[in-house]
Amino acid sequence: MKVMKIQKGTRVELSSNELLFLAHSGQPYRGSVFVAFESVGESFDMLDFKRYLTSLRSLTLNAEDIAFEIHSRINASIQTKELGVTVELSARGGITQRLSYGAAFEVRKRANIFQVG
Amino acid sequence: MRAEELLKLGSGDTEYKYEYSPELLETFENAHQGNDYWVTLNADEFTSLCPITKQPDFGTLIINYIPNVKMVESKSLKLYLFSFINNGEFHEDAVNKIGKDLVALMEPKYLEVVGLFYPRGNVSIHPRFFYAREEETYQEIKRHRFLNANLNPQRVN
Repeated sequence: MKVMKIQKGTRVELSSNELLFLAHSGQPYRGSVFVAFESVGESFDMLDFKRYLTSLRSLTLNAEDIAFEIHSRINASIQTKELGVTVELSARGGITQRLSYGAAFEVRKRANIFQVG
Repeated sequence: MRAEELLKLGSGDTEYKYEYSPELLETFENAHQGNDYWVTLNADEFTSLCPITKQPDFGTLIINYIPNVKMVESKSLKLYLFSFINNGEFHEDAVNKIGKDLVALMEPKYLEVVGLFYPRGNVSIHPRFFYAREEETYQEIKRHRFLNANLNPQRVN
């Protein structure tokens, strides 16, 4: 992800309901990812971030490692302050998982993915 | 036996396929053939690729049907739907393809598939597939549901 210069001190929050990666069994995991950080003068292009999330579709890893994986990628790409990543996965076997890595923050969800009604 | 040909359910060794694989679909016998009833299957994790850009698409599929003799087994349906993961499909084509595959598999009395796809470019697409056997009862259901489709547009929360 290419570095993009932005105003220092800007609070940046990103989310996507389109997270998909593979379990070691081969079964896809589906979920939502939430990212938050305070800028120290850098962010990244949204297109790069979308491409990175898309690349996870062929990545195999334990569900518990997905928040760390995304956190590490962002951390390796840009400098931030208080970077946090939270992932909420759809239920598997009736169990949902919520994974977080880095700074804690309040996850804000949209009420409706179609943004209507 | 109602389900003697089921290979996927309870196998303990599930193989996931990442290319369109209609052969994954399996059926079991309807034990209530003298009674028409609705079955609804909701699949919230459908994903495929845009056939042009190869960007991922996501959506919820809702399958409503009135069974005849054969009923689709849900684990095989899950594996079949997962198999679209690397398939390039327009939303409209995916819904029609799934509808036709299920009709060929089950020969149901009535079947419809609704696709509620996530927005792209601020536009979300909701295609609908309808099928009914020739008997007037099922044709009437099809006409009614076709004519009244989307009078109250669906929302996904």
